[in-house]
Amino acid sequence: MNIFSNQYRQNKNWLWSMSLMSALLGFMMMMAWVTRESRTTRIDSTDADQQNRVLKGSIDIQEQYLKVSEEVKRLRADKTKLEEALAKNDNGSKTLNDSLQEAKMLACLTELEGPGLVVTLRDSQKPTAIPSDAAIHDLDVLRTVNELWNAGAEGIAVNGQRVTTNSSIRCVGSTILVNDIKIAPPVRIEAIGDGKTLSGAMSLPEGVLDVMRRLDPAMVNIELAEKLRLPAFAGSTTRKWGTVPKETPK
Amino acid sequence: MILVPFISLFLGVLGAFFLVGPIKGEAGQYLAVACLAGLDTILGGIRSLQEGKFSNDVFVTGFFSNVIIAFSLAWLGDKIFLNLFQVVALVLGARIFTNLSLIRRILLTKWHDARERKRLESLASQPQAETSRS
Repeated sequence: MNIFSNQYRQNKNWLWSMSLMSALLGFMMMMAWVTRESRTTRIDSTDADQQNRVLKGSIDIQEQYLKVSEEVKRLRADKTKLEEALAKNDNGSKTLNDSLQEAKMLACLTELEGPGLVVTLRDSQKPTAIPSDAAIHDLDVLRTVNELWNAGAEGIAVNGQRVTTNSSIRCVGSTILVNDIKIAPPVRIEAIGDGKTLSGAMSLPEGVLDVMRRLDPAMVNIELAEKLRLPAFAGSTTRKWGTVPKETPK
Repeated sequence: MILVPFISLFLGVLGAFFLVGPIKGEAGQYLAVACLAGLDTILGGIRSLQEGKFSNDVFVTGFFSNVIIAFSLAWLGDKIFLNLFQVVALVLGARIFTNLSLIRRILLTKWHDARERKRLESLASQPQAETSRS
């Protein structure tokens, strides 16, 4: 039983026009599809309630809240431990020392060991339209380091120079300075953290390394490392101007 | 034969996926409305095919004009701060439902008719056989 049989005889041309329009519709649907990349650009043109729905996927507030509360819990436990140590002087010095060691680790004054990622940036050997494009600049290094911090790196060293809260990455003439110490290309950036997340951040489309990769893929090399050992910060730690306030603000 | 439009729909999707990819910004949002218009026109075409009123010219011009009107209405809505976007979506959504339900009804009627005809034919052949025997 063919229910379409009458129509086939009536209009022989329906099939091609229908197929053509279907193809066009499919084309348009694919172009209108919301993906991870196009989501952020589409949010402004949707309603408030639709925005909420779209935004829900990208920011999981619940997860952030749990993380923060976990941190608060840990800090409170630390506080109690310290208070107990103050009260009982006999094992106080050990607890104080533990917390001091942790503070030193956070200040990058100790070596740091762990799994992570090594990003190597090289000057391009290919001739480029603008000659300065072929070289690695201080800004490239700075942006890469910044992106690594953002991706959750716990410690970063550039050519053996530990990056601390006081570090600077800049250039004088054609040499790059890290912590005021000259480094020579290839620039080897070691970062301790979750290697997968870090390499993901390094491979983002339109990310920090994408411009260089487009110019010459040989300029960038990323490899996961099972075990990295970052040196301690060896520069000056003297503070002339800043002091820690004694009383808490009201 | 009926599968050909479906296959070309997928070909269109694949083509856009490899050639253009999803487009960004407001244009993508307007295109989403235009997609609704396209879907409505195609369903309308299938319906008129069922009713035997299908005309190629009407169908093709209808497709393009509907798509363009939907796209530009959504755009105009953003320019004059009226939510014409939702107006278009609402009207086209309603039309898609109407078209689909009409297609379903026509197909059901044809199916019933065909079954009834078969039953009557078998009934008609039986007494003939009896009369020839007696």
